[in-house]
Amino acid sequence: MSSAQIEIQLIASLVAIACAIPGTFLVLRKMAMISDAISHSILPGLVVGFFITENLNSPLLIVLAALTGVITVVLVEQIQKTGLVKEDTAIGLVFPALFSIGVILIAKNANDVHLDVDAVLLGELAFTPFDRLLISGVDIGPKSLWIIGFILLITVALLFAFFKELKLSTFDAGLAATLGFSPAVIHYGLMTVSSITTVGAFEAVGAILVVALMIAPAATAYLLTTDLKKMLLLSIIFGVFSAISGYWLAHWLDASIAGSITTMLGVLFFVVYLFAPSKGVIAVMYREKQQKIEVSLLTFLLHLKNHTEESERHVNHLNEHINWQKVRSKTVLELAQKNNMIAINNHIVSLTKKGDEFTTLAIDYIMTNEDAQIEDMKDDFFLFRG
Amino acid sequence: MSKSKIAVQVDDLTVAYNYKPVLWDIDLEIPEGVLMAIVGPNGAGKSTLIKSILGILKPIAGSVSIYGQPYEKQRDLVAYVPQKGSVDWDFPTTALDVVMMGTYGSLGWIKRPGQKEKKAALEALEKVGMLPFKNRQISQLSGGQQQRIFLARALVQDASIYFMDEPFQGVDATTEIAIINILKALRKANKTVIVVHHDLQTVPEYFDWVTFLNVKKIATGPVKDIFNDDNLTKTYGINYKVSIQK
Ligand SMILES: Nc1ncnc2c1ncn2[C@@H]1O[C@H](COP(=O)(O)OP(=O)(O)O)[C@@H](O)[C@H]1O
Ligand SMILES: [Mg+2]
Repeated sequence: MSSAQIEIQLIASLVAIACAIPGTFLVLRKMAMISDAISHSILPGLVVGFFITENLNSPLLIVLAALTGVITVVLVEQIQKTGLVKEDTAIGLVFPALFSIGVILIAKNANDVHLDVDAVLLGELAFTPFDRLLISGVDIGPKSLWIIGFILLITVALLFAFFKELKLSTFDAGLAATLGFSPAVIHYGLMTVSSITTVGAFEAVGAILVVALMIAPAATAYLLTTDLKKMLLLSIIFGVFSAISGYWLAHWLDASIAGSITTMLGVLFFVVYLFAPSKGVIAVMYREKQQKIEVSLLTFLLHLKNHTEESERHVNHLNEHINWQKVRSKTVLELAQKNNMIAINNHIVSLTKKGDEFTTLAIDYIMTNEDAQIEDMKDDFFLFRG
Repeated sequence: MSKSKIAVQVDDLTVAYNYKPVLWDIDLEIPEGVLMAIVGPNGAGKSTLIKSILGILKPIAGSVSIYGQPYEKQRDLVAYVPQKGSVDWDFPTTALDVVMMGTYGSLGWIKRPGQKEKKAALEALEKVGMLPFKNRQISQLSGGQQQRIFLARALVQDASIYFMDEPFQGVDATTEIAIINILKALRKANKTVIVVHHDLQTVPEYFDWVTFLNVKKIATGPVKDIFNDDNLTKTYGINYKVSIQK
């Protein structure tokens, strides 16, 4: 690997981490669309900032562009507050307007601004190693690396300092307000960090990848964990994994790096969406099937409990009485036998002591919804897993 | 009532969403140590009243005081149980963690909860009978269990005044009894408990104080004096609704 290759992967990874952190909270706050709005509407901020500073790497430019991001959020909220349109409509109104102002500004001043719309959407990750930061003539690395590294440092520091506040106000803004943690302050803090990260990452990776890196890793992690800290960690891992594997995919296919990273993010999400242990599509389908069988089992056990007459409990006539197909009654019969809930003597099925107790408990549970007593059954039976 | 200390005082409170008032000139005095129900039809502004008292919503007119001081100065004295539906129960967190959130107020900004806070949270979980579920992800809890978790989170705040928005919504009979017993124990300890309540049948049995609300305050006082057909008709009756709309 050449040093340029390492630098590109390093920049992409840092961008991925810097995006995954605010992205996790955006996803949990159901604000994924907001990051899309921010990433597009900072364009006029960038252009105006460039007119003022005449330097694409000036901190002032980043501040101005980030400010446009926050203004976008405020505009969206104001439009939404009128009660005339919903949030997604408000977002749809604001960001194309701001983005097109940016595009027009670039087109009108094409000679002065070294920005083009392609670069804005897709970034120029491949060129980042060529733009070096020199301090008194000494090359200390690519400028993008320093910019995103600095932003990441601030993001991580803020995350550590305000983790508790972020968690609380994301889960329950009302309680946060009553306890004195202004949800508005935390909200705009998060919006500011998201905007700054977007601006910092934007030049390197473009608007589309910024959005993908904020939302996809967090959405993927959400399917895998029930712990906020783990979700943050997984988002970061997924982001970095996609950044690096995407880079090599691009290398191998000779394609756009940003495009390949986005593809990897999509692939990763899809795989997890299918195979996640409890929230994945396959797991959900399997569980539903199991639940169906267990409901049948319970119906069957209840039938045995309610009918003392032998004619109702003859193995060969069970399907007639409960009105099931053969296959289903066979599965249920085997399941009940496997769990020692029934005994078959002379083709007559009867409940064992265990089966009888289980049926009573299960009926109790269904009627009262009282969990405590059924706790230990949960591992054996899907039905009671809520 | 001989003890006449006022826990919560609301003066001329008017609250609006998008300039449409949903609470209109509310005056209310809640004496210390009562277990009070707020009753009124859906959309009467019950939740809005609580949120305004707690400073979550800004009123367009009027003021609120808690033991004679503005809410901001008395945060430590107040605990809040929001309507269960107001949060996302799929949020990645556990029962214990949610209860710990009740301790955040006393910690203030930046400081993290430690062993002391954890111990308090475990005790509160024990009180509501939810200790065995402490590590359960909150979406894996039943409606009644979620409500108990919310109650535990309020208990851990160890406040003087408790506001609860429909704590009996969607809970089974056992949980309802467990919750009301805890509320009665709070009143015994001279805490003030204010509950948005829907089941009019149980008002006389559970509460000693009641406020009728429907955009305006209809009546407030001891259940035995004012819980009658007249006030119920005024609050829920069709004629009354028509007359406030013009
Ligand atoms: N965020 C909101 N924006 C606009 N209107 C609202 C909002 N919240 C509540 N309302 C309206 O205010 C009125 C009172 O609501 P609420 O206080 O929730 O009533 P209650 O709790 O008594 O059912 C209702 O008409 C409701 O539609
Ligand atoms: Mg309500």
